[in-house]
Amino acid sequence: MMQRVWALALVTCKEGIRDRSLYGIFLFALFVLGLNIAVAGFFMRDLGKVTVDMNLAALSFAGLLLVFFICINLMAKDIDKKTIHLVLSKPFSRAEYIWGKYFGLLLVVLFAQVIVLLFSCGTVAYVHGMYPNYFAGFHWPVFFIAAFFIYLQQALLCAIVVFFSSITSTSFITLIFSIASYIVGVSLEEVVFYLRTQAASQDVVASLQLQRTLETVSWLVPNFAAFDFKIEAAHGLALEWSRLAMTCGYGISYIIVLLVLASIIFKRREFN
Amino acid sequence: MSERFDSKWWLLILLVLPVYVFFQLGSWEQRGRLRCEQTVGFLVPSQYSRVLACGYKGLLADFQFLRILTFFGDRSTNQQPVTAQDWDYFRDSIDVITDLDPYFYDPYVLTEGFMTWEAGRYQEANALLAKGAQYRHNDWRLPYFIGFNNFFFLKDYAAGAEYIMVASRLPGSPGYLPTLAARLAYYGGKSQTAVLFLKQMLAENNDDRMKARLQMRLQALENAAQIEEALQQFRNDKKRDISALSDLVTAGYLDNLPEDPYGGEWGVLENGRVFSTSKFVEPKK
Amino acid sequence: MSQIILNSLCKSYSPGLFKKRIQAVDGLSLKVSSGSVYGLVGPNGAGKSTTIRMLLNLIRPDRGEVTINDQSVASGDFLHDVGYLPENPYLYDHLTLRELLQFAGRACGMSSSPFSSRTQELTSQTGIAHALSRKLRTFSKGMRQRAGLCFALLHDPGLVVLDEPMSGLDPLGRKMVCDLILDLKQQGKTIFFCSHILSDTERLCDQIAILHQGRLIREFSIEDIKSFRAGERCLEDEFVAAVGLGSGQRGSIK
Repeated sequence: MMQRVWALALVTCKEGIRDRSLYGIFLFALFVLGLNIAVAGFFMRDLGKVTVDMNLAALSFAGLLLVFFICINLMAKDIDKKTIHLVLSKPFSRAEYIWGKYFGLLLVVLFAQVIVLLFSCGTVAYVHGMYPNYFAGFHWPVFFIAAFFIYLQQALLCAIVVFFSSITSTSFITLIFSIASYIVGVSLEEVVFYLRTQAASQDVVASLQLQRTLETVSWLVPNFAAFDFKIEAAHGLALEWSRLAMTCGYGISYIIVLLVLASIIFKRREFN
Repeated sequence: MSERFDSKWWLLILLVLPVYVFFQLGSWEQRGRLRCEQTVGFLVPSQYSRVLACGYKGLLADFQFLRILTFFGDRSTNQQPVTAQDWDYFRDSIDVITDLDPYFYDPYVLTEGFMTWEAGRYQEANALLAKGAQYRHNDWRLPYFIGFNNFFFLKDYAAGAEYIMVASRLPGSPGYLPTLAARLAYYGGKSQTAVLFLKQMLAENNDDRMKARLQMRLQALENAAQIEEALQQFRNDKKRDISALSDLVTAGYLDNLPEDPYGGEWGVLENGRVFSTSKFVEPKK
Repeated sequence: MSQIILNSLCKSYSPGLFKKRIQAVDGLSLKVSSGSVYGLVGPNGAGKSTTIRMLLNLIRPDRGEVTINDQSVASGDFLHDVGYLPENPYLYDHLTLRELLQFAGRACGMSSSPFSSRTQELTSQTGIAHALSRKLRTFSKGMRQRAGLCFALLHDPGLVVLDEPMSGLDPLGRKMVCDLILDLKQQGKTIFFCSHILSDTERLCDQIAILHQGRLIREFSIEDIKSFRAGERCLEDEFVAAVGLGSGQRGSIK
């Protein structure tokens, strides 16, 4: 079984990496990094923070573009072009197909993130060299931890993409739902905690129903803010292992739940 | 036939390009004029900014900070007066920026530089700096700024001394802070204390305009301190008060009466403190 | 021994929201014996591709059963011994031919030495051995079809299912496919294919069935086919006559 899953993952990964669109994403990331070098001098003191902000934003946004366009395309193309008929004519179970595609997507994202991260490290080292006095708060380990959790966030998004792809074959619908999940996941924490403080201070009646809805949503959509270590990396703040472990566990368990659901749904699908 | 066809298109390009250049220049000039006239920009309140940032709060804070810098830079280059409305916008912007990323140091420096000297809004500046001190709790500079504001502008020597003491306990603070706090508590309003503060501010700052301002003020205070010292000497020796400041020169305690760089005239308070009619503020042009 | 048994298969689908359901396959029953070549012919939209998809468990029948090697396809374990070539195969464009075949090999659990020998053998037989390192994007239609055949046959399956294997091929390509099918038959494999091209079907098959509007309207045995080959009867005439009847009767008419 592992050999089959790995074979499909490898094929998916190669398809993704050789997609010309990947170059566009790299160019975009390079552009942001160049912007970083140009703009750093405008700020007064906290150049370390600004550099980290822009680098992690480049890494994160490049990942988003990758997932929303290339990964969704990789999933949808199989069904659109009927390549899935060929794959499923080999002894793949539906679940193996889902897991194989997912690991393939993970590999593509890993490849792209590593390359952007390498360029990013170069940029940070360069700006650090130009303005050494203003990087007081910067620590490489925290920077890499933030980069890792950005990757975990993309892995989560890939799982969401695979899940929606298992339900619908139209890539546009998958795109819309994935983007919506991302936006909800990113804003969820802010809104929930804001409403909690509002409810504590003023009118309780109106927000209670909304609060309940949001609590339900928080069980369905992942809280992407938990994976956001950008501010900590920007200022070199200390991180506890318990927090990292909890976040990792949250991400990985959510991914597993989604993929199992996707496998179950996919078992019932028919391919015309 | 195709040759003529090609040259027709090239001719069109040659005709269209100058038109484009004209509109390019015109549009940019228009935008430049428009920016002069604009009052204040719109500010998205922080609870919405935090959500709209979609996980890029730090980056949004950086961007908003650049916007504030350009806004006030525009005002300065166009030599426009900064109105009270502008200062409200400044304060609200810094508030939003520090809500997005409370650890961001630059807004606090800008606050200390502008809201105090230029705007005179000391309490509001202190409130913003206090927010920073809460998050950047290992940064000695923030309680130091609050202490300075309390001492120099608000004349609340007790509060000033307290904040300086807090700053002195934080890592990296200069060694003279505890003594400074003690002096503040004791001497309170002497100009020499302010001179020490200003020297530190000058070392901190690397913006040329700011430095020039601080330099001027330092000169004024040093001159005032010189007069105060001479006056103290005179009183101790002669056991009586002067009738006019020129007495210090004739009696030989001063070589010559130092000038007030702000163009005002010196005066003496009862407790021996020297002040100036200019109030150490730049005359309006 | 019957390798494939289709038993009263029915499949319908709805083409749109407010449109009437279309019966793609209606009460189809047939048996394919081991080692024979079975041809399914019929006009466009007769339900041939749907039948093949039900055979491979890509879609599930509303009623009826598909059995391969005495096992229901619903259990899913039969694919180890099946090779499938769809109509107009679309392969992963950015892969090279070698990478595609490596994927096929790994998917079937082939180890490296049988893999390399089979690859060499198959690609030489289909005439694309020179293109092993080229990306599939650069392949012409005929080469794509051959690549698909290599993909299907790599693991030496006992049952080969082909959906319009000759579609879009030039005469050389058609000959190659025919030779290949005859070769596979000699090796004792079972072949099930559907086609539009009656002449090739007549030449290759041991049994032919005519499908029309989802129903099996005529089935020809090996004797019928021998008489076609001898020129005594014409398959095309009998096809047109059978299909021209409109909706035929259920079951086969001898």
